Amino acid sequence: MTILIVMLVLSLYRQLVIEQQNQVDKHLAAEMQRYQQLALTVNRRSFAAQIRAADPKTALIAWRNSVDMVGALTFLPENMPQLPETKDFPIFTGGPDKLHILTGGLVITRYGPVLIATRTDHLATLIEKFINAAFWAVAFTLGLTLALGYIFSKAILRRLVEYNRLSEQIEAGHYETRLPVSDSQDEFDMLARQFNLVLDTLEQNLRAVRGVTDNIAHDLRTPLSHLRIGIEQLADKPTNELADASAELLEELDHCLGTFDAMLSLTRIEEGQQTLDLQPVSLQQICQDLFEMAEVIAESRDQVLDISLENDVQINGDKYLLFQALFNLVDNAIKYSPVGASICIKQRGKHIQISDNGPGIIDEDKERVFDRLVRLDPSRHYKGTGLGLSMVKAILSRHKATISLHDNNPGLLVNIHFK
Amino acid sequence: MTKRILLVEDDATTLKYVADGFTAQNYQVDSATDGQEGLTLAKHNQYDLLILDRMLPKLDGLTLLSALRTSGNKTPVLILSALSHVDERVKGLRAGGDDYMTKPFAFAELLVRAEKLVQRNVIEPAATDIEVGGLKMELLTRKVTLDENELMLQPKEFQLLKYLMEHPNQVISRTLLFEAVWDYHFDPRTNVIDVHIAKLRRKFEELGHGELIETVRGAGYRLCKGH
Repeated sequence: MTILIVMLVLSLYRQLVIEQQNQVDKHLAAEMQRYQQLALTVNRRSFAAQIRAADPKTALIAWRNSVDMVGALTFLPENMPQLPETKDFPIFTGGPDKLHILTGGLVITRYGPVLIATRTDHLATLIEKFINAAFWAVAFTLGLTLALGYIFSKAILRRLVEYNRLSEQIEAGHYETRLPVSDSQDEFDMLARQFNLVLDTLEQNLRAVRGVTDNIAHDLRTPLSHLRIGIEQLADKPTNELADASAELLEELDHCLGTFDAMLSLTRIEEGQQTLDLQPVSLQQICQDLFEMAEVIAESRDQVLDISLENDVQINGDKYLLFQALFNLVDNAIKYSPVGASICIKQRGKHIQISDNGPGIIDEDKERVFDRLVRLDPSRHYKGTGLGLSMVKAILSRHKATISLHDNNPGLLVNIHFK
Repeated sequence: MTKRILLVEDDATTLKYVADGFTAQNYQVDSATDGQEGLTLAKHNQYDLLILDRMLPKLDGLTLLSALRTSGNKTPVLILSALSHVDERVKGLRAGGDDYMTKPFAFAELLVRAEKLVQRNVIEPAATDIEVGGLKMELLTRKVTLDENELMLQPKEFQLLKYLMEHPNQVISRTLLFEAVWDYHFDPRTNVIDVHIAKLRRKFEELGHGELIETVRGAGYRLCKGH
């Protein structure tokens, strides 16, 4: 803006001042011609008379002949150029404004050099006034711009300062704090809204982590306190019982470590930190392997395990992880179904179904079972980490497969669909 | 002949635990606490086995291993790691490791894996029969007899028994047995091994020798030579 003003003023200056200067130059040129003509046409005396009679308001004329000076000046200023070149020079007069500025040059006539000049005080004054005005104009706009900018940035800054203050509050642990969003829908509101969304997600995760931490503490507290008691009693055990007692403690400890391991690998799979070892996997082959491994476990509980395969499909996946996930589901079906139940592994193209006729899962719990450390059996009668299904879901979603639980009336039906 | 093992491990407790274990088994154990030292030792000595920690100061275990393999050193390597994940396992094996164990581990299992790797370097005539006490296994015909009585075994039971017979009197963990029988490497967290062993043991019991397969609580199973 200031630059614009400066440019405007400059162009005005050019138009006004340069125009004035052009007029001075033209005027001088006309006078020069007049005196050149005069020198050629009149005799020396008439020439002198003409010079003496010249009206100082139109032009100031001074002629130096061989004897003295004729005209308005008593001397010729030194180093005056020949017209049309001009030079400014001061003269003193007796009047109230003693110092006059003139612009002029010499004309060489046959009677000698004649100085032709014109007063340019008004021009100088004009320039001075103009520069003065321009200076104030620029200064004014600059001031105005700065003031407006300051007020404007102050308004923005106030919001930033507010954001900053709220962020500090959040940092201090007030995770429920949110940035204010005004109705103006400007960039700041967009920023605030985005920031609030991030905070929402973080707060949710934080709550989940807190829940998990509580669960971990709860889950591991029991085995750890068993261990404590066990180790305390170890010192008093007779030697022949030592081996058995410490083996028992080892089992308990291994269970704790197993939970930690499962937790860590679950996080790595969920967060995508673990790279999958991708290879073509036949769903039919994997179901067949599943059946072979699980059959003997089902048998040991007098359960019937069936398998039905149709339309093999090859998918690109991590064979070990997929097997682990599917095995977990079959193992659960066997574990939670009563003695004598029947369990079925069914594969149809990209669809795998694992069904049992056990107790099933009530609707309210069908989503919840995939959460970490959720165990539907409150007595914790069955051995487990409570991470199995979370792991299953994490592995499957890394393979872009979906899993859903349904009623098998009676029992549970698990549907897995690969894309 | 005494076997030489180089153990590279930065955790002093684990180092002592493993070194003491192998020394007690009449191995000669050299140890290094960082990767650089480990590499220097491995390059200038002839070892029968290297046991490498995955995370090491100065030079990472896998880098050490790659460097060693690039220089043409073919010493069997067993990698120890606190990261119990398949991809780490794959990385380790790709870098030229021969086996992999995750911490924490039972020394008994480490010993079995180590012995397997050490023996791999020794060229033995392929055995066709294995005998442990009164138990006899013909590998070609897959015939198993106990005191001249033939045992009828399922394929998985046969594989399990074979593994146990190859390591008589040693405690074999469920994980090892699992890997011996199935091509899937993961912590099964299941009693599938126990079920198979129970079936196997029942078949022994019918011949009056259920005690041959001993359950070691908190560790695994052991095939007794005593009989």
